Amino acid sequence: MTQSGGQPGAIVSLDSVYKNYKLGSVEVPALRGIDLAIDAGEFTVIAGPSGSGKTTLLNLVGCVDVASSGTVRVAGEDTGQLSERALTQLRLRALGFIFQSFNLVSVLDAFQNVEFPLLLQGGSTKGERARRVDELMDKVGLGKYKHHRPNELSGGQRQRVAIARALVTNPRIVLADEPTANLDSATGHAIIDLMKELNTTQGTTFIFSTHDPKVMHQAGRLVELVDGQIASIQQLGVDAAPPADPHAPATAQV
Amino acid sequence: MFGTLIRIAMRNLLAHKLKSFIVGGILVFGTMLVLLGAALLGSIEASMAESITGSVSGHLQLASSKGKDQLVLFPGPLDGNEIGVIEDFPKVRARLEALPEVRAVLPQGFDYAMIFAANLIDRKLANMRTLRGKGELETYRPVRDHVRRIVELLDRDIQRIRGVIDLDKDDGARRGAEDVHHAAQPEFWADFEENFAKRMEFLENKVAQMAIGEDILFIRYMGTDIARFTSTFNRFEMVRGEPIPPGQRGVVLNTLYHEEMLKQKTARRLDKMKDKIAEGARFESDDELREWRRMNVTQYKEISWQLDDAAADRVAEKLRAHLGPAPVEAAEAASPTDDASGPAHAVDGLLRRFLDMDDGNFAARYQLFYDVIAKELQLYRVDVGDTLTIRGMSQGGYMSSVNVKVYGTFRFQGLDKSALGGMVNLMDIVSYRDLYGFVTAEQKAEIKALEKRSGLQEIAAENAEDALFGEDADLAAEASATGFDEFADVDMSKGAAKWNERLTDIVYTQAQIDGGVVRNAAVVLNDPKQLQAARIAIERIAAEEKLPIKVLDWKQASGMLGNFVSVIYAVLLVAILGVFGVALLIINNSMVLSTMERTKEIGTIRAIGGSRRFVLWMFLIESIVLGAVFGAIGVGLGAGIVGWLGNVGIPATNDTLVFLFGGPRMYPWLSGAHVAFALGLVVMVTTISTIYPALLATRVTPLEAMQDKEG
Ligand SMILES: Nc1ncnc2c1ncn2[C@@H]1O[C@H](COP(=O)(O)OP(=O)(O)OP(=O)(O)O)[C@@H](O)[C@H]1O
Ligand SMILES: [Mg+2]
Repeated sequence: MTQSGGQPGAIVSLDSVYKNYKLGSVEVPALRGIDLAIDAGEFTVIAGPSGSGKTTLLNLVGCVDVASSGTVRVAGEDTGQLSERALTQLRLRALGFIFQSFNLVSVLDAFQNVEFPLLLQGGSTKGERARRVDELMDKVGLGKYKHHRPNELSGGQRQRVAIARALVTNPRIVLADEPTANLDSATGHAIIDLMKELNTTQGTTFIFSTHDPKVMHQAGRLVELVDGQIASIQQLGVDAAPPADPHAPATAQV
Repeated sequence: MFGTLIRIAMRNLLAHKLKSFIVGGILVFGTMLVLLGAALLGSIEASMAESITGSVSGHLQLASSKGKDQLVLFPGPLDGNEIGVIEDFPKVRARLEALPEVRAVLPQGFDYAMIFAANLIDRKLANMRTLRGKGELETYRPVRDHVRRIVELLDRDIQRIRGVIDLDKDDGARRGAEDVHHAAQPEFWADFEENFAKRMEFLENKVAQMAIGEDILFIRYMGTDIARFTSTFNRFEMVRGEPIPPGQRGVVLNTLYHEEMLKQKTARRLDKMKDKIAEGARFESDDELREWRRMNVTQYKEISWQLDDAAADRVAEKLRAHLGPAPVEAAEAASPTDDASGPAHAVDGLLRRFLDMDDGNFAARYQLFYDVIAKELQLYRVDVGDTLTIRGMSQGGYMSSVNVKVYGTFRFQGLDKSALGGMVNLMDIVSYRDLYGFVTAEQKAEIKALEKRSGLQEIAAENAEDALFGEDADLAAEASATGFDEFADVDMSKGAAKWNERLTDIVYTQAQIDGGVVRNAAVVLNDPKQLQAARIAIERIAAEEKLPIKVLDWKQASGMLGNFVSVIYAVLLVAILGVFGVALLIINNSMVLSTMERTKEIGTIRAIGGSRRFVLWMFLIESIVLGAVFGAIGVGLGAGIVGWLGNVGIPATNDTLVFLFGGPRMYPWLSGAHVAFALGLVVMVTTISTIYPALLATRVTPLEAMQDKEG
């Protein structure tokens, strides 16, 4: 996946992107001309009122939906040009997802959920997978909960399983649509801290949306959407530098 | 990958216990049904195959390819008989026996015919004439008294029936009854010797025909190369007497036919009662036992009129000693209805008392019957050593007749109690051809020569030949118009007997046995498993050599009987289809529901990089696991049941079952093929029922994961 076209150095770039939904005979405009470039290693927060188009934007970046017009480049690929199968591959290899409602596979335990993307990728031995899963589960502080099923875990614990799952394949970009919306604020903060720490130590690009003003301030860069358009972009903090040691253990605790 | 899929599948099954339990229950039941059905039918088919192939059909049957009707070895009423004739059988036999699979090819032919056994009064009257003619009056008189006794018994019977049935409506019957009554009067016998010719004529022409008319019996027989048949058909076993000497004419009777059709009726019923009691039946609870007992008592005459006065005295003495004095006897003697039409011998009442058996005395009386009474009776109407006159309807539709010696009785192992398989008797093929009306030029010449040598002047030569072979249609028409009685005269005359004796002495060569007309032929294989291979090989040879034959396997040749298994298969199939149809609907439904419930999970899997194919497999594997798990349970239970049945056996409760089971009990067994078939079927059913929901699942988009419902 080489970078070809778009903003040089940007891992994600959107170029006059429009997205309309059809509701019966009415066209509902969700995104109206988005131009945005996100560099590798950035910790980007998408904010904006309800209905402003945050989810729509993340879906386009996450390759689960396609733009009505304009180009969306992810990890160097023009997603509008890719087949269904290639999009699936892109999601599998380059992206990680964290969902608002965690979306764990309920019949698998924590360990198996985290291992799942590695199995989909194939090509790894059982031992390799176990090492990688153990490492990440320790990193998100769930070393003792490997064999708990999702319904035996709290919301925060589930979301940390989901984070471990999103990171297990070492994706270049992790997308999260309101990852803290179903958590109390303290837990939400801890989750954001964990993500931020992983961003710093691993250099993974994080893009997530939120309503929570406190969460917004954790961002490296804050993109504000209003009515499907970018209202403002603020540079808040320093983005992660390339990590000194990508495997440094994380000790964040909720 | 597959590990995960199976894990997900197992977890899903466990997560939805109730649903899995219901679906699983149906699958277990269906699998058990398949397994039991396949095992039972497989066992039936195997034992039936052994029964039929080892006794009658061989593994394959050959018939002419030009026949109008299909060859049927166990014909039903609608099956035609025009199967044609195999041309050049010796060549066919030589070619086919050269095949490594083929052990033997035997000529065969099946037919029905009539046998004539003169009834008791006929025999006694003939005996009277002979003895009186020779002037042996000492032996003549008891026979005459015996005939008188028979007539009196007959008259009493008719008088009794008269009270119940209005005989007088039918003119013939009324006149017959009057004739018998006339002959039963003391006056008829008072001047018997003075009017011997007149009285005899009256008895022969008017009275004899009123005695039970069971003098014509049907016999079904197979004409074949006897010597080779007995050595190739492994179910064949001689019971009494000796096998027909190689190359000679003769019949051996099937034990079942001999017992069932030719044995004295009271004795036969007692035998059957003994068998039934041995199986645990008791008089008070068994209708059949009581019915047989009733028939024995009311038909005591079957015994009584075989006894002349001396024998009747002997039997009466023994019975009286055994039964002791009884009020019943006195009452019988005094009974006005019984004695109304003449004096009864004391033995009659004693017999009735004796035959009125119960659970307590059956064993002892059965023994006594054979020790005392049977010795005075002709137990079999035709027995080993007798010469039998068999008349058949030949191919041209006229009567043909042969006299053959009964060499012995045989049984087909396992089939001795089955009427279906047990009623076929065996005859040498030369006699069969005569009966069927096939005479070669060579045979004709031979017969001519024989006639000259045996000094057969009394009967017209043409007439005899005609009676036997009925070649000429005109003569045959004339012959059949004359009726059976004339034939009987011809056969009974000394000349014919002598002539027949000579005929039975001839030893036919293998060339003569094979060289005559052959309607169908049995092919016996070295290994029954090679049936298909052998069939193909034979068909190839037939095509190459332009042999006008067609090949049927034993099942096809067995007609209705062979179809029997196919019919049960069809019934079973319908049942299985029903069960699995229901399973299919239920699984399909529950899987569609589960697809809907799991939309978010599927979307998530798609979002994090699972392909459509993965989703498809996820569902398919789930159904395969479902099928495999519950199929295995079903197979386990089914195998348990088959194993149990295999130990205790399934009793054959009627003749058909005895035949199908190849014996009195069937011990079903299970083969790997049955298990594989049952498992394969159940997995196939679950897989098919999952295809639609699985396709639905592949349509779920990753967007579904993004809906922020709690999940
Ligand atoms: N599947 C859809 N069909 C029709 N309209 C849609 C669909 N999804 C989103 N929209 C519309 O597009 C617009 C943007 O929606 P979007 O879900 O992206 O907003 P959002 O910023 O994520 O809002 P929220 O904060 O409530 O999640 C809204 O007006 C919404 O009604
Ligand atoms: Mg949203």
